[in-house]
Amino acid sequence: MIVIDKLCYSSRLRYTNAEVKFTYAILTLLFCVISRSLVMAAIVLTVNGILTVGKGRIPFVVYRRLMLIPLAFILLSTGAVIVNVSKSPLDAYAIPIGSWYMTGSRASLMFAARLILSAFAAVSCLYFLSLNTTMTDILGVLAKIHCPQMMVELMLLIYRFIFVLTQTASAIQTSQKSRLGYQDFKTSVRSFGQMAAVLFIRALKRSNALYDAMESRGYDGRIRVLQESYPPKRKEIVLVVLFEIALLVGCILQLP
Amino acid sequence: MSEMILQAENICFSYEEDGRRALDNVNLSIKRGSKVAFMGANGSGKSTFFLCLNGIHRPDSGTLYLNGKPFDYSKKGLLDIRRRVGIVFQDPDNQLFSASVSQEISFGILNLGVPEGRAKEEVDGVIERLTITPFRDKPTHALSGGQKKQVSIADILVMHPDVIILDEPASALDPKHTRIVNELVNQLSQEGITILMATHDIDYACAWADEIVLMHDGNVLKQGTPAEVCRDTDALEKTNLEEPMAVRIYRKLCAKGVLGPAEDMPVSMKELEQSIDKIGKDRKSE
Repeated sequence: MIVIDKLCYSSRLRYTNAEVKFTYAILTLLFCVISRSLVMAAIVLTVNGILTVGKGRIPFVVYRRLMLIPLAFILLSTGAVIVNVSKSPLDAYAIPIGSWYMTGSRASLMFAARLILSAFAAVSCLYFLSLNTTMTDILGVLAKIHCPQMMVELMLLIYRFIFVLTQTASAIQTSQKSRLGYQDFKTSVRSFGQMAAVLFIRALKRSNALYDAMESRGYDGRIRVLQESYPPKRKEIVLVVLFEIALLVGCILQLP
Repeated sequence: MSEMILQAENICFSYEEDGRRALDNVNLSIKRGSKVAFMGANGSGKSTFFLCLNGIHRPDSGTLYLNGKPFDYSKKGLLDIRRRVGIVFQDPDNQLFSASVSQEISFGILNLGVPEGRAKEEVDGVIERLTITPFRDKPTHALSGGQKKQVSIADILVMHPDVIILDEPASALDPKHTRIVNELVNQLSQEGITILMATHDIDYACAWADEIVLMHDGNVLKQGTPAEVCRDTDALEKTNLEEPMAVRIYRKLCAKGVLGPAEDMPVSMKELEQSIDKIGKDRKSE
């Protein structure tokens, strides 16, 4: 997660209008999931790859590694679709085990392929958004589309304090390590537990201090901040609209 | 308008959690436009007193005055106090709540009800002024300690306060950022902003401040000009402070007969240098 956060600040597409990126990512994701079309998923995967790696200049190696993270989940879940155990063999393949067969039908293989490819395409949409848009910009969009304010404010604070608390945690861990706190399994478990306990107390203290600091600047229960927005370029809007229309047409035509 | 911008009269304050009496009958006055250094051991009540001055803590007894008027703890009154008195907290990580620098700075001014357009101009102005521009597009968690400090000062400055309270601004700063902060503080003070600063550095306090307040066990032990405070060796000892370097050298020079006991004891290196410079001149005029 911290890798993604670092990368999005250096992305070349960072200053592209966040609403355009958001709309593109969400609509494309929806079309991929709805259509389950192999052709469309392949197109979306390629386009997102070009956008993120080519335009956004996210290193390909990192992008590939991130894309492979959900692979295990996707393969596990499609396994159930491909593999059947039955007494009579199906049309795609059949491996006899005693009087039974481990078998699968052509239709189920096709279905699995669709599932895998469209899942990857959907994941690539979300990666496109998170690798090229900063969290604050995403929160800005959420506020604009009238997400509940409390949720947006909570996300803003949580996002900020993830980093403060991980820093605190790693500082505590370093100091524990320097006193041999992690030399074997037993000490590791104990040190980790103590670290977690201290972290919890620190978090409480921090939240009190933060509340004081916010109150001293006139906090009244609503976090008002300026939203930074980068004006959308006409070309970007036109391209996104055309692409989404093409996907919509693809959906309607029920491309394979 | 009254000459005193802030006054405290018999302020007592205890923390609810542990019942510890953090402030015990504090009396003091702060002159408009002055530079006041607050010194005292950790836990002597400096930070608690600062939080009282900003209306975060409400004293159990006693009265605080802003511009001669008692603090008004109504919602509107509090907003006014917080606009006029700003606190830069010691640990920027306890103050910065947003990952975006400009959002962070915009918080205070928007709370004052300033329209977005003007708030944006003000935020951009303060970013430029505090030389935050090179890192304004970085997330706050990627900033260095010194940069975070700059942002936390901008947080307050954007609200155009009359009084700025800095709680140990130089703690954990490298020499470069300490200099940046000190220069900025001098600039602000030249603009007429009253500055209260908690510090443990007596040499800095003596060179910088118009007045020093020594705090001890929730009490004001001594308030006066640096020279007055330095002469009160008992008070210094009680607050675990050593005499400033300049005073120690001055005493040695007096003992050796190089300097005669002057009516104004030099408390900063600059004053000491001036006293030493005078030696030659006196001889020439003789």
